[in-house]
Amino acid sequence: MMKSFDVKNTVQNLPITNQLLGALPAKEYQLLFPKLELFNLNYTEVIHEPKQVMEYLYFPNSGIVSMNAVEGKQTVLEIGMIGKEGVFGLPIFLGDPRAFGRVIVQGAGSAMRINAADLHNFCEMGGALPRLLKLYTYRFVNQITQAMVCNNLHRIEARLARWLLMMRDRMEDNKFPVTHNFISNMLGVRREAVSKSACSLSRRQLIGYQHGNLEIIDPAGLEAVACPCYAIIKEEERRLSRFDIQSSVTTLKGR
Amino acid sequence: MPATANINDALKNHLLRALPEEDFANIKSKLEPVSCTLGKVLYESGDKMNYLYFPTSAIVSMLYIMKNGATAEIGIVGNDGLIGNALFMGGDTTTSRAIIQSAGNVVRMKAKDLKEEFSKGGIFQQLLLRYTQALMTQISQTAVCNRLHPIEQQLCRWLLLSHDRLDSDKLVMTHDLISNMLGVRREGITLAAQKLAKQKLIKNVRGTITVVNRQGLEEAVCECYQVVNDEYNRLLGRGMSRTFG
Repeated sequence: MMKSFDVKNTVQNLPITNQLLGALPAKEYQLLFPKLELFNLNYTEVIHEPKQVMEYLYFPNSGIVSMNAVEGKQTVLEIGMIGKEGVFGLPIFLGDPRAFGRVIVQGAGSAMRINAADLHNFCEMGGALPRLLKLYTYRFVNQITQAMVCNNLHRIEARLARWLLMMRDRMEDNKFPVTHNFISNMLGVRREAVSKSACSLSRRQLIGYQHGNLEIIDPAGLEAVACPCYAIIKEEERRLSRFDIQSSVTTLKGR
Repeated sequence: MPATANINDALKNHLLRALPEEDFANIKSKLEPVSCTLGKVLYESGDKMNYLYFPTSAIVSMLYIMKNGATAEIGIVGNDGLIGNALFMGGDTTTSRAIIQSAGNVVRMKAKDLKEEFSKGGIFQQLLLRYTQALMTQISQTAVCNRLHPIEQQLCRWLLLSHDRLDSDKLVMTHDLISNMLGVRREGITLAAQKLAKQKLIKNVRGTITVVNRQGLEEAVCECYQVVNDEYNRLLGRGMSRTFG
């Protein structure tokens, strides 16, 4: 029943911008397409709690979700940030659907999702999807490692700058809603410390804050304040945007 | 010096032991035993990886190296795991250094053989993917611990993780090295170690730390230790810790 139009550009008139989906060969994407459903990412919505069984793998088209570590019920640290460059729900792919951490929407948008059974059946057939998911897992591990090192070694102001720039890159907007309290949970520092650093950044006209919205006024200036982790993560993302699926297919076949 | 490496030790590695007999028999001829001395580097950050390693008695520390030379430990791997997951996840290089933290043996498998076995699917592949999930938990929980918990608790966690992977109660380890692992200053480690020694949980003599009161350490440690163990046991179905699971 597949029509001849370019299916990649039409799911209820929504362009598919997720980079993993975009990296699939057209034929494979067409097979996958009927299994995908559109899911709205609503700001601050919790997608799942720690140890809860995940039922779907999500491919964000836009927006940001954040994977958080939780102690008791309280978010204590952001482990990783996921946007259209990746997927969330990896535990389903890796083997056990009960995931570490809380997944929460940090910037509104939408995602395509596939249920666990369909995903497994699809991956069983081989193809590019399981390879892309493995590659993304590897890169996500690098991202969380970089963030961990950053949290451990760098000053709050530099980390705050990095975090704001990462938000901006994923939102593709210099303005987004966020509270100091939220940031303090993400960076694992006290709110007072976040407020102090934010004040200092805004005194230097790098950022502004109004009615719950943060605005990055001087992105270049903010980049100068951020620790080197930002550049490293960004470079990793640049590599991510070029999923070199063709070469990995040939490598595997050649062996 | 570690005892001479022997292929029959391969089953001391929990992942290899978890394979059904038949699957293990299929890969056994591709495993090669190697002895490793303290401080030996298996991979340097950015290196092309030629082997996947399954420790049988050695303990390997994965260290992240910053551009300015500062380091932080990402994870500790002993006979519970493997080193080189980038190989089967599709990256050919690693972003961390893998260094022998406690001398002992490993068995290794050529990258080419590994990719071939992995691409066959089956239990071997499932096991390696699950291990990757457990590793992500270890990294995440270590991030939380490093960020939020007092050095003393971090040191307890680190000692317990190492103790679980050792056959002996003695860890040959200077405070300098531990400070690199935990990403805190050496003075902080020395103070914390003195405190634990005063409580008679460890003995702390010139480059060697001896675990004296295992249970005491478990009472002093933060929840991070058990979170990692629980997740590991759940995913891989083998008790790692000497007490839990």
